[in-house]
Amino acid sequence: MDISRVKPGEFTKTPIEKTQDPGLGYDLIPKERYTSAAFMAREWDRLWTKIWLWGCASEDIEEEGDYIVTAIGKEEIILVRQADGTARGFFNVCQHRGNRVMVGQGNATSFRCNYHHWEYRLSGEFENIPDAETFPQGAPPCGGLRQVRVEEWNGFVFFTLNPDAEPLLEFLDPLDTHLGPYHFDRMVKVTDWTVEWDCNWKTSVDAFNESYHVQGIHPELLYFIEDKFLQIDTYERHNRYLIPFSTISHRVNETTEIPHLIKHAMKESGMDPADFDGRVGEVRLALQEFKRKNGPEMGLDYSDLNDDQLTDDYHYMIFPNITMNIHADDLMLFRQRPHETDPDKMYFDVQMFRLLKKDEERPRKPRNERWKHGERSLGLVLDQDAANLPGVQRGMHSAAFDGLWLGDQELRIRHFHKVLMDYLGDD
Amino acid sequence: MDLGLRGLKAAISGGSRGIGRAIGSLLAEEGCDVSICARGQENIDAAVAEFRARGVRAMGRSLQGRDGDAVRGWIRQTIDEFDGLDILVANLSAGGGTNDERYWYRNFEIDLMSATRAVEEAYPALKKSDNASILIIATMAARETFVAPMAYNSIKAALVTWSKQLAEHYMAKGIRVNCLSPGPTMFPGSNWEMIEVARSRTYASVVRKQPTRRLGEADEIARSAVFLASPAASWCTGSHLLVDGGYTKGVQF
Repeated sequence: MDISRVKPGEFTKTPIEKTQDPGLGYDLIPKERYTSAAFMAREWDRLWTKIWLWGCASEDIEEEGDYIVTAIGKEEIILVRQADGTARGFFNVCQHRGNRVMVGQGNATSFRCNYHHWEYRLSGEFENIPDAETFPQGAPPCGGLRQVRVEEWNGFVFFTLNPDAEPLLEFLDPLDTHLGPYHFDRMVKVTDWTVEWDCNWKTSVDAFNESYHVQGIHPELLYFIEDKFLQIDTYERHNRYLIPFSTISHRVNETTEIPHLIKHAMKESGMDPADFDGRVGEVRLALQEFKRKNGPEMGLDYSDLNDDQLTDDYHYMIFPNITMNIHADDLMLFRQRPHETDPDKMYFDVQMFRLLKKDEERPRKPRNERWKHGERSLGLVLDQDAANLPGVQRGMHSAAFDGLWLGDQELRIRHFHKVLMDYLGDD
Repeated sequence: MDLGLRGLKAAISGGSRGIGRAIGSLLAEEGCDVSICARGQENIDAAVAEFRARGVRAMGRSLQGRDGDAVRGWIRQTIDEFDGLDILVANLSAGGGTNDERYWYRNFEIDLMSATRAVEEAYPALKKSDNASILIIATMAARETFVAPMAYNSIKAALVTWSKQLAEHYMAKGIRVNCLSPGPTMFPGSNWEMIEVARSRTYASVVRKQPTRRLGEADEIARSAVFLASPAASWCTGSHLLVDGGYTKGVQF
């Protein structure tokens, strides 16, 4: 079945041009990148401590004094809203004896270490050191919590451990142009989960950077998306693919009944599948037209989005560890973080955001919930992904496996590795 | 056994795929001219070409089953083109759907009304035929609790009742009316093909109830249907044949 797409010249703010494929060859990707402690150490020195990292949603620290503690590798960072509305970030380390200062998230008027009650202002400076006169050498010369650089973009707070990092927008380029039209800052967060997975963080990144696996582990999605004929685009660091949704894969036959996931998408937008008289292959364009026409009345502003964006998944990766399934009405953002010490473990953060309809009550703000793989469901599709990953990681250690044998549908994985190695140097 | 179909003229609503398509193919093979209606032109074209390849006349019309005028127009066009009509198979269906009031209207208009409209429009031609028969395709789900309560099952049940009363009414006019209820049937593009992949648990629960652990195939339904529609079934009228591979367990008296 032919799938129609927005063509050059038709309305779009998000660039739709296909980039030229970068010609990265077909070499094996060495498996040691996923298993070696030495490689992990190099990632810390040359990647995690050098680049911009997604920290939290701006709404997580909405009001003055709202703070959230996030972690990257062995470091914990406090992100906090200042009186002037800006966000700041600090290493979550008391300068007295090294204790963790804050945990979780909340609202504070100051940060106080619970060990000896050393206290810091929201702006980081020392507020109070009990019995200060017993430190004849004075307070530590750093003056308070050690600061990290923080910048906000489109409803998200980023931080970097690198004082010399380029400005955030430069790092994100060209994603501001691409993703600005979605106005993530108008969405509200509805889910905030962290799951410990038994695999390397890149094993997880890879799992979301190709749709070749859909016919393998997500067969039900063949009746919701076109999984093979996608547009893949690679940029300097970041990459994307554009996946038609609310259609069926060329791998399956068109049915008379509308598949349930497509029905669900129609209903979510207020379009009644029982009144749709077209064929299954005609739903996608009809749904685009319906949303374009009825969105404003439902309080949904799609005016900066092109027609395909109303149904499809514009799937972006923010290098190195953010996966975004972006739709007109919602965003599923995954952050993959390395474990503190173990290359065979990682943290998988699920952050879901949703555009609210007119008069829709804002759901209670979610607080981060944490568990280990298998203890709770992440929903069918993510469970399917998760179930697979420990097996992949285990196989990476086998003497019978040398590395990743990637095809054209996995170009984004190859591109990711190219950028990764640009930061890390040779294997 | 000669089914006596050679030279007869048949119309099948929804005959471009699945059970309807298989009935059309078999009727064509038996020497019937075949006319179908359906939504998608490509499937119609492919079906018509296949029927013609069997050496009979064939035609098809693309229409929306809700559109009563279109359904009636297709029957009139068929009668004109074939110069008469002997067999009408009311097979068109909207399929299932749950939890939405609109499905009742949808199945009412597409499953039920397309059948009553086609029958009404075909009646004058059928009355003139020496081998007139009407076959209504219902579903096993009309009599068996199946998957979920939904409009499809209940509206099909209305067709079963209607077909019996129609049989009594038309008997004297020389028109036989029968009803056939298929069990879940697998064919390329069938909803079951989708359910097997997209709702594998529902599929597994259905297959477990089939004694042979498989679904029916369109040809297996079509052979029974073609017999009932054919002059060979001259003493069958008002009958309701369940073709479900043993899915239902109740005794049908």
